[in-house]
Amino acid sequence: MLDFLQAVLDGVLFGAIYALIGIGFTLVFGVMHKINMAYAAASIGGAYCGLLVLQVMADAPVWLVFLCAFASGGLLGYLVYLTCFHFIPLSSPLATLMSTVGMLLLIDEIIVHSTDGRPQNHPAVFDEVMLRAGEFSMRGDLLFVFAVAVLCMIALLLLLYRTRLGLATRAVSQQPVAAQLCGIRVARVNALTFVVTGLLGGGAGALIGASVGTLSPLLTLPLTVKGLIVTVIGGLGSVPGAIVAGLLVGGFENAFQLFRGVTERDLYVMLLLFVFLVFRPGGLFAARGGRD
Amino acid sequence: MDFYYGLAQLVGVHTLLGLSAYIVLLTGQVSLAQAAFFAIGAYVSAMLTVLAGWHLVPAIGVGALLGAATACGVGFPALRVKGLMLVIATLAFGEGVRIFFFNFDYQIAKGGIKVGPLGGEGFRQIRFFPENGWSTAEVMLFIWMFALLVMLMLWWIDRSRYGAVLRAVGEDDMAAQSVGVNLTAVKVSAMTIGGAIAGIGGGLYAHYTTHIEHSSFNVLVATFAIAYPIVGGLSNVLGTLLAVIFVQGFLVEGLRDLGDWRNLLFGALIVLAMNLRPRGFLDAATLAGIARLFGGRRA
Repeated sequence: MLDFLQAVLDGVLFGAIYALIGIGFTLVFGVMHKINMAYAAASIGGAYCGLLVLQVMADAPVWLVFLCAFASGGLLGYLVYLTCFHFIPLSSPLATLMSTVGMLLLIDEIIVHSTDGRPQNHPAVFDEVMLRAGEFSMRGDLLFVFAVAVLCMIALLLLLYRTRLGLATRAVSQQPVAAQLCGIRVARVNALTFVVTGLLGGGAGALIGASVGTLSPLLTLPLTVKGLIVTVIGGLGSVPGAIVAGLLVGGFENAFQLFRGVTERDLYVMLLLFVFLVFRPGGLFAARGGRD
Repeated sequence: MDFYYGLAQLVGVHTLLGLSAYIVLLTGQVSLAQAAFFAIGAYVSAMLTVLAGWHLVPAIGVGALLGAATACGVGFPALRVKGLMLVIATLAFGEGVRIFFFNFDYQIAKGGIKVGPLGGEGFRQIRFFPENGWSTAEVMLFIWMFALLVMLMLWWIDRSRYGAVLRAVGEDDMAAQSVGVNLTAVKVSAMTIGGAIAGIGGGLYAHYTTHIEHSSFNVLVATFAIAYPIVGGLSNVLGTLLAVIFVQGFLVEGLRDLGDWRNLLFGALIVLAMNLRPRGFLDAATLAGIARLFGGRRA
């Protein structure tokens, strides 16, 4: 029982990363009604760019690595928007799906090419710290991951609900035509959404590096699948839904890893998704209908 | 020459994979579960020929039937969700099937060695073709016989009433429903046909590579399945064939000299192709142009 609770706790802490990835998918979906399949790959790519700092300055502080990962994540987000969305008409949804898949492969291959396919060490943070509360222990690096992820989410929610850009973003996601008629530059909002999600993704990628200890291009596909599952369980387009679902999937996954081992773990995550699809197809926080 | 026969085998199998996604895409749905039906066809028919000693043709038939049955079974719950939700639901189903085969052991001793699927190591010694002395050219013809049959069938479906219904649902399912089209029947039947085609493709794939494992059926294969018809264009089955030849023949084999750079170019070219031709290589306008060309000559 204790092992189980411990596993769930660790999983929930790590689930904060899934929540960040889920938010990225869900925000882009909310604004453009499109899936950005390249998102998880761009996030890992951002984290790799963060490691470039260590190439230039061998003893760079960890926060600088994180900052660089954040910034390059945002830049990659904009590049993905420019190459996969900007020039493709909105009326062909299959084309953007395919172009982002192409971008996913491209980013993956650039990573493999520039690192010769070897996993890269990522500086860990607080990995010796171990908090104890009675029978439970909390890994310091996971707590750090959780704290940074929560900070990112708070910053995002403030951006969405307290700034003019957030207002515009929410307007576009509710009614793009009406938003345009009110003088909102929809293309600019779309591009900025990609930058914002890219920033989050770069942060999430660096957090994965910090908690796992290494970065590898093999991370991108599983992370894409997990992020999409989180998005669906939370409800497409819902930011709070993605947060709750991310923590839920993280805890669930780690609990089943304890019971059934790492090879079968993901099978149960898929089953969880199907339970949701059958009994609650709209997700936890389904968006109200009536768009368009 | 054997190299080109091998390439033709690959193109044939991938054409079947692409066509299985083509018919589902006609109804406006994106299914990333085609790799799962492909895997089911591959494992089932290989187990029938290796473990039960069946001939290949009935084994492929059973693989196709099981692929179709699974697709039909997935179709019903998955169709509760639409559009992008379906993409993710089928993606998760495909991954689930892959992980199932990753954990699937069923080995029996045969002639001193153990044969059958063995979890992460995969399923080796699917030696139907070498045991029966088929040459590479014969295997290629066998694969293409199936590929051409399926293409003809889809061509015929495209020109039939059922094909018109499929496209109507794909264009606007609300409008189709309002003129009395049974959406569930159309979508599930398209999924089922797609599952059968993927099952045939999987059976052929397992026997010509002689070794299958779970990673041969991952998300990438599923995205390739939908990539062929989308890149090629959904107006005609030939678009899928064209895209398979472009990807497997030109990008994968033709650019082999480029080594590592080939993979980089691959993703970039897909992005570029979608930017330049968002409706695929052979879109409706291009087809009309070609038809006019030939019509003009005849007149």
